Amino acid sequence: MLIIAPVLSYAQGFQVNLEGEKQIGMGHTGTGLAQDGAAVFFNPGAVAMLPQNYVQGGISPLMFQSVFNPAGTTEQFHTANKIAPPFTFYGVWGPKDGIWKLGLGVYTPFGGLTDWGTTWPGKYSSELLDLKAFYFQPTLSVKVTDFMSIGAGFVYNYGTVDLTRAIPLANGSGQPGQAELKGNGHGYGWNAGVYFKTESGVTVGITHRSQVTTTINGGDAMFTVPASLQAQFPQPNQFTASIPLPATNSVGFGFHPNSKWTYVLDMNFVSWHVYKTLSFDYKINTPFLQDTNEPRDYVDAFTFRIGTQYQACQKWAVRAGAGFATAAAPDNYVTPEVPDAARYFLTVGLGYKLASRLDLDASFEFEHLNARTQTNAYTQLSGTYSSHVYIPGISLSYHW
Amino acid sequence: MKNFKHYIYIVAGLVWLSACKPEINTPKPSHGSADFSRYIAIGNSLTAGYADGGLYRAGQQNSYPSIIAQQMQQVGGGTFSQPLFTTDQANGSGYLTLTGFNPDGTPITTPVTTNLAVRGILPVPGFGNVTLYTKYTGDINNYGVPGIKLQQITYAPYGNLNGFYERLLPNDAPTNNTAYIDFVTAKPFTFFSNWLGNNDALSYATSGGAGDVLTDKSQFAQLYAYLIARMTANGAKGVVATVPDVTSIPYFNTITTTAILAGVQKANPQVQAIYINALVSGTTYAPRAATAKDLIILTFPTSKIGQPVQTPYGALPYGLTPYTPIDNQYVLDANEVALTEDYVDSYNATIKAVAASKGLAVFDAHTFLQNLKEHGLVEQGVQLSSAYISGGIFSLDGIHLTPRGYAIVANGFIGAINAKYGASIPMADVSNYNGVKFP
Repeated sequence: MLIIAPVLSYAQGFQVNLEGEKQIGMGHTGTGLAQDGAAVFFNPGAVAMLPQNYVQGGISPLMFQSVFNPAGTTEQFHTANKIAPPFTFYGVWGPKDGIWKLGLGVYTPFGGLTDWGTTWPGKYSSELLDLKAFYFQPTLSVKVTDFMSIGAGFVYNYGTVDLTRAIPLANGSGQPGQAELKGNGHGYGWNAGVYFKTESGVTVGITHRSQVTTTINGGDAMFTVPASLQAQFPQPNQFTASIPLPATNSVGFGFHPNSKWTYVLDMNFVSWHVYKTLSFDYKINTPFLQDTNEPRDYVDAFTFRIGTQYQACQKWAVRAGAGFATAAAPDNYVTPEVPDAARYFLTVGLGYKLASRLDLDASFEFEHLNARTQTNAYTQLSGTYSSHVYIPGISLSYHW
Repeated sequence: MKNFKHYIYIVAGLVWLSACKPEINTPKPSHGSADFSRYIAIGNSLTAGYADGGLYRAGQQNSYPSIIAQQMQQVGGGTFSQPLFTTDQANGSGYLTLTGFNPDGTPITTPVTTNLAVRGILPVPGFGNVTLYTKYTGDINNYGVPGIKLQQITYAPYGNLNGFYERLLPNDAPTNNTAYIDFVTAKPFTFFSNWLGNNDALSYATSGGAGDVLTDKSQFAQLYAYLIARMTANGAKGVVATVPDVTSIPYFNTITTTAILAGVQKANPQVQAIYINALVSGTTYAPRAATAKDLIILTFPTSKIGQPVQTPYGALPYGLTPYTPIDNQYVLDANEVALTEDYVDSYNATIKAVAASKGLAVFDAHTFLQNLKEHGLVEQGVQLSSAYISGGIFSLDGIHLTPRGYAIVANGFIGAINAKYGASIPMADVSNYNGVKFP
């Protein structure tokens, strides 16, 4: 029997890591800094140390470009040029010189948009994945002493997914069928951190962002197949799936040798091992349409980031950063919707004070995923992937 | 507007970025030590692109030699001409299409009878009727002739007995006098593929061991050596394929004795066995109860089971008593299976030995189909098996392949060629080829 096994996944590639333009410019560091409202994400513990109140928003249009070269051929297949729009919104407020601050963050820490089209050799694995995860995080932070503050937030996650793939059942003209799974779901988690100002002037942050298991209940499972087989793919049908968005532990350091220069170092440990299988449970099963259980067996991943900021004058700040990340998808488990691989990234940023209370920040990130030659253990799709990511970004912050 | 210029830069930057796509450097494909400038294919129905019980234009276009030739063009391969039926007569000999499913899930196939290329029926005394097809007069690279056995390649009058061969020859039957081996070697070539030998076992098997005979082992060895000597006489290199185990095809594995018995027992629980007329030894046949090792052919009309048959003991139900066994022609019984497998093993030993002696590449189709039957196959996210219709490899006749099956076979040949001659002919994209078409 033919078993239709839709694939959904995400990886380090879909841990988006675009949570504030100032921080992106500095290699997406910030665990050990109290820089602006984005501390709600980077370190809730640092929020109480922010000198001011903040309202800020930003957007980072992300272009993920992958290429696939099937094993034993010279052909190259590219993903379509599509732009995923990760965005951020942060608000931080507390009484002047108070010991506490309230924060709210809305951000998109996971997501993906890979569109390989309907005619490429991996179409029976994946044609399109459009995954978005929105986190809403109210936060409270308290300054325990002058040199230490703590904070924690509650995370509500709303996620949407749309994925399509071809079904290897040809109609009268030889065209394959199509499967589309579309739905939304939610999950809960938390985020906590502690922030120190040491006597040497080095600032230190330690944070934990919890795992958030997003459950999609009653998503639409749509199948276009030849008419004589439609009864085997009952319509309407629904699916349930559960996706663990992994926990992240971070430690970060900020160095402030003088008023112009800041150096930052962050390390993230992402608990991808929770992503063991990807399962789809269909409401109506038939001999042709069985529930699926695909192995993923991801491994924990590590990211190392460094960044710097130079405050050239009162109005202008220049930033740069770099880092690398290990792959979460082990060999033989790389899938085309997430062509995960070890990667490095380079970032630059520019800050401009539009007015005394208004900052404009721009950032640009380039990410290169190492070429990776893989045969997927489940689909036997065999070939070499390589990917580039280009991410310009801009944000506006009002502070008082 | 002062900022206008900046917008231009930003837009230009975005355009530049989207043009700057990642690329993977691949080595330039190579022909290695082989020369593919004129490639010819010899063989039987599998080589011709026969599918769904017939030879028709769309099947010809998806023949494995045609797929191989397309890939060879990236390493210096020349044009590859096939004796295609015309678009007006695209349905060639006619073929089966899947038109639906019965309530019990069994498929309904319907023959295509329009736009055929049939030009007449020639009665040949002592042989039978030969269906003749519209002649093909153009250049030929694919010499696949449905039905041909290795045993027949030196038989000069064969062009009068096989309509698929006759249509390639200049003369009308019954005046042909060109043996297949002379016909295919008449024009020079630099590379060949050869997949002859299947029908030397298959024709016996598909007739339930009743309508044909297995080609003698030593005659097979002698003819195979002669064939390869002729093919390599002018220095051509080539690839040959082994003969599959006939039991690895759905033609023998779809209707089972167990399923027939279960069907009968639903209506009639006291029935204990179905009976077949089975080979004892030599040419002696005797009725006995069937076991799971006896194979029923795909075209067996199961409605015959239980129909009253007149016997000396009165009217008895067909297939359910030793006096009314299922006819020999519908059954490849366990002894016939063993006999066929013994011959096929001998044929394959010959093929491998001759290929080795001439330094030819070998695509081991026998192993490939055995693995497919035992383990299935996953290719580019598609699960394949040797099951009828749902398996994706075999066409509606249960013997020949679907376009997807032929593409996988083409890659099998390409892999063997690349390994033998140090070439790197690019693999065909199997995902572009469909399995069975559903209505």
